[in-house]
Amino acid sequence: MQEFLRHFFLPHEGNNHRAKLLHHTSLLALISIFFVGAFLFPLLKTSFPDVLGIAVNISSGDLLSFTNQKRAEKKLGQLYLNSQLSQAATQKANNMLAHNYWAHTSPTGATPWKFIKESGYSYIYAGENLARGFSDSKSVVDAWMASPTHRSNMLSGNYQDVGFAVAQGKLGNEDTVLVVEMFGGKKASLSRAPGPSVPIASNTLLSSVLSNAVVDSNFLVRTISIGMAGLFIITLLLDMIIVERKKIIRIVGHNSDHVLFFCAIIVFIILMSRGAVG
Amino acid sequence: MEAYFAKHRWYVSSLIVVFGLSAFLISQLSYSKQIQVAIVIGIGVFYVTWGILHHHVHHDIHTKIVIEYILIGSLGMTIALFFLKGGIF
Repeated sequence: MQEFLRHFFLPHEGNNHRAKLLHHTSLLALISIFFVGAFLFPLLKTSFPDVLGIAVNISSGDLLSFTNQKRAEKKLGQLYLNSQLSQAATQKANNMLAHNYWAHTSPTGATPWKFIKESGYSYIYAGENLARGFSDSKSVVDAWMASPTHRSNMLSGNYQDVGFAVAQGKLGNEDTVLVVEMFGGKKASLSRAPGPSVPIASNTLLSSVLSNAVVDSNFLVRTISIGMAGLFIITLLLDMIIVERKKIIRIVGHNSDHVLFFCAIIVFIILMSRGAVG
Repeated sequence: MEAYFAKHRWYVSSLIVVFGLSAFLISQLSYSKQIQVAIVIGIGVFYVTWGILHHHVHHDIHTKIVIEYILIGSLGMTIALFFLKGGIF
């Protein structure tokens, strides 16, 4: 085993002074494995959703609680969960999944206000926050708070009511979890002291996606991708250090460049794994 | 390694700048997976081209090196593609 690891990860005479992992044949094999995996993995997710699925825990109750917590920190009045706004949010989420878009205005020109009006909610002020690709409620609220425009919606004194929808589906053939938050205000700007926690009157108001697959596919692909890039960084660095010390002349590319490239890939994956707000 | 960075600082700096700009774009364009995929492919192609040009300018280009850059660039892109196809977005 020790010899195998040495052969794979360290340069020596037996592997022509280049770690076996960095040989062209190994690189080609890994490219093939990851390429096939990129198309096989989604198929496995579809075929065995209970085993290899998305571990998501987002609920309207948690979203409301975290939103009101942020408002309380700013001495703003709590928002009340409103069934009409929740219905409007659900209609909007379903509309996005049905028409394959993720935006405030649909491709057919339907605005958030259309959904709110159709729900029967009469408003003076209204707003909408969107999110996708998050796996828990706190991350969604934190991301909205980090965006100035979404933050201003969440901390606006113009709103008294809020409705949420959480929907899991496919956008552009990719698995996604959408979160829609609709705000409404029926009267002029009010700044209330934090009141008692809002009772959630009926389960019909609640919208949640709770999926607990045995293996969280999101975590798995992120770990494999970052792990592989990290393994190459370590192997390239070891290869470079050992060969420099032994002063062996080889015809190879610059390991330092490859290290930078794989570092960039890791940064890209970390950035891409974050959800989006809109 | 210090000697390498001293000798190739402009090349390495250009690589870091392009990677940094790409990371900024990816973070700003989080709403569009298609654009993110395009950026990752673009970076892979850029890296291969950059590597080959770098060796060509320093007169140490060789077929083995060209193949190595193509394979490393392809592997980076494939790893990112695997991640993009497998996760939730």
